[in-house]
Amino acid sequence: MRTLLKMAWRDLWRNRRRSLINIFAVGVGLFLVLLYGSLVGTVMRAKDQLDDGGMGHIEVTAPGWRQHRNVRQALENPKSTVTGLPLPPGSDVSFRVVSRGLATSARGSKGVAIHGIDPAIEATVAAYVNKLRAGKPLAADDERGVLLGDKLAEDLRLQVGQKVRLMVQRADGEVGADLFRVRGIIHPLSPALSRSLVLVTAAAAQRTLGLADVAHQIVIQLPLAAETDAVAERLRTRFGERAEVMTWGQLMPMMKVLEDMMGVLITVISLFVYGLVALGILNTMHMSVLERTREFGIMRAIGSRPRRVVALVMGEAFWIATLGVVLGLGAGILLTKLGSGPPVLDYTSKMGESFDFAGMVMRSRFIIELPLGESLRAAALVYAVTLLTAIYPAFRVSRIQPAQAIHSV
Amino acid sequence: MAVVEVVGVKKDYVDRGAGTTHALRGVDLAVESGEFMAIAGPSGSGKTTLLNLIGGLDTPTAGSVKVDGRELATMTSAQLSDLRRDRIGFVFQAYNLIPVLSAEENAEYVMELKGVGSGARHERIEGLFERLGLAELRHKRPPKMSGGQQQRVAVARAIAAEPAVVLADEPTANLDQATGRALIEMMRELNRERKVTFIFSTHDPMVLEQADRVVRLVDGAVTSDDRKAGGAL
Ligand SMILES: Nc1ncnc2c1ncn2[C@@H]1O[C@H](COP(=O)(O)OP(=O)(O)O)[C@@H](O)[C@H]1O
Ligand SMILES: [Mg+2]
Repeated sequence: MRTLLKMAWRDLWRNRRRSLINIFAVGVGLFLVLLYGSLVGTVMRAKDQLDDGGMGHIEVTAPGWRQHRNVRQALENPKSTVTGLPLPPGSDVSFRVVSRGLATSARGSKGVAIHGIDPAIEATVAAYVNKLRAGKPLAADDERGVLLGDKLAEDLRLQVGQKVRLMVQRADGEVGADLFRVRGIIHPLSPALSRSLVLVTAAAAQRTLGLADVAHQIVIQLPLAAETDAVAERLRTRFGERAEVMTWGQLMPMMKVLEDMMGVLITVISLFVYGLVALGILNTMHMSVLERTREFGIMRAIGSRPRRVVALVMGEAFWIATLGVVLGLGAGILLTKLGSGPPVLDYTSKMGESFDFAGMVMRSRFIIELPLGESLRAAALVYAVTLLTAIYPAFRVSRIQPAQAIHSV
Repeated sequence: MAVVEVVGVKKDYVDRGAGTTHALRGVDLAVESGEFMAIAGPSGSGKTTLLNLIGGLDTPTAGSVKVDGRELATMTSAQLSDLRRDRIGFVFQAYNLIPVLSAEENAEYVMELKGVGSGARHERIEGLFERLGLAELRHKRPPKMSGGQQQRVAVARAIAAEPAVVLADEPTANLDQATGRALIEMMRELNRERKVTFIFSTHDPMVLEQADRVVRLVDGAVTSDDRKAGGAL
């Protein structure tokens, strides 16, 4: 085995240029696939992408709330519910008391979305909680404080320290109103949230709405997007009729369709790139094997079984794949390091800092991210393609008749 | 017992267009252990064909070939591979060596196929190379060796795993007179010292002189079989 790998390695460098082209083709092919996949992956799956919109892979709501947004349709004891959920380690989870309402300042009124939250917990799933443009964060026991989206504050001409009146429809159907003071102005990346979001503590929201200790929405972010369906299924069994469990694919079907399309596109592009790589390798390996017919004949004559010469050819493919993968992954890692600085695609000038798309907040700057699992999967595919390609030349070699081969100088 | 026993062997090459070539037309031959034997004959007389059949590299159209008492016709291709590995050494006309392996690695190759451990291999090769005056070639690769050096290493490889017989097909054909003579003398010494059985083909009279026994082939048939008086047998 060691001798075979050694021979294969040396054989590789007999025609240096040919081998380098093959290795390069494998490396560049892998790199392209990784690059494209990572661009798409960055948009869809990154945690900060979810954080920007305060969204989750999974949302749990009271039955019917999603359709009617009736504040009475709520989940009880949110805080203890949230801590006891069967979630994979590394998950983030928060709960919200949610209501529509009207915010009024001395300058006018705006329709708003009121989120009653525990600021510390909410910060794990929503980046904007701590993105203060002015003022201070919301304290957990602050019953009279609000944080406002920056556009909203601008529209209502509200400054930190000024008063704002929030008007809602209470659980009993009456109109409820409360006076709050602006503690801070936050900057959500989502233009929609920036124009409408009002954050208060959960207790304040419950008081204004005339609710007991309940919440309307539980937001869960998983460490691995791929686990979404499995975890959602577990939660459905756990909650039964008491709650609706929705995945991001169900909540943002457009996004899901897009992601699926991207997946298909990546597959097609991968097949195309790897197909080209395979053709190149097939051609050069076949050529190199034919040139060495006599040598293989000698090996066979002095007692190598056919499978040993097959293994030698496969060994050469193994080295091409290995060096190609090192090259491709290396370039990928390098670019990731560089890519975390300057983004590879930047639409800031056309789109602004971010935009709302299909229910998600998109940043206009795309940076590269190479998730380990996917990179390894792509690398494994490269190995498979290269080794599969080598099967044909190897098979040809195994069929060599030593007597003929030796005399075909 | 005969190491090689050839009985009534015929070999036809069927070539579309060119028709059938009767390369061997019924050859009988027995070679005893320890012989130093030449197959002589002009080009096209069937020397290579005969050696290929004895070495199990090709199959006869008719007749029987036995090596070490085993009938080759009944063996599978894997069994033939193993027979070549274990019982037969080969030296061809030129370019015998695996170019990516050093002289030493080439000589060890067959032993490694046989599963001889690396310590034992090194020891044996070291002794053999020393004996054959190849010591300074040990780490050289074939492309850096002269034709004569390559042929000497090929002989070393052929005998390294202690085969029952070494088949050498015109081993001196690509060498100049002096180098060719030295190679044959080296083979001769190995035959005397270590009782290695050699069957080699040639049409070089100088080489023929060295043989104890000369079998002449003409047009695929044996025309004479002479033993030199005072030879090994
Ligand atoms: N693979 C082959 N196909 C067709 N004819 C062949 C083949 N090998 C040898 N021959 C023919 O068989 C005859 C004997 O050839 P060969 O054994 O090579 O003779 P020698 O080695 O004595 O020169 C020649 O006529 C040669 O042309
Ligand atoms: Mg010949």
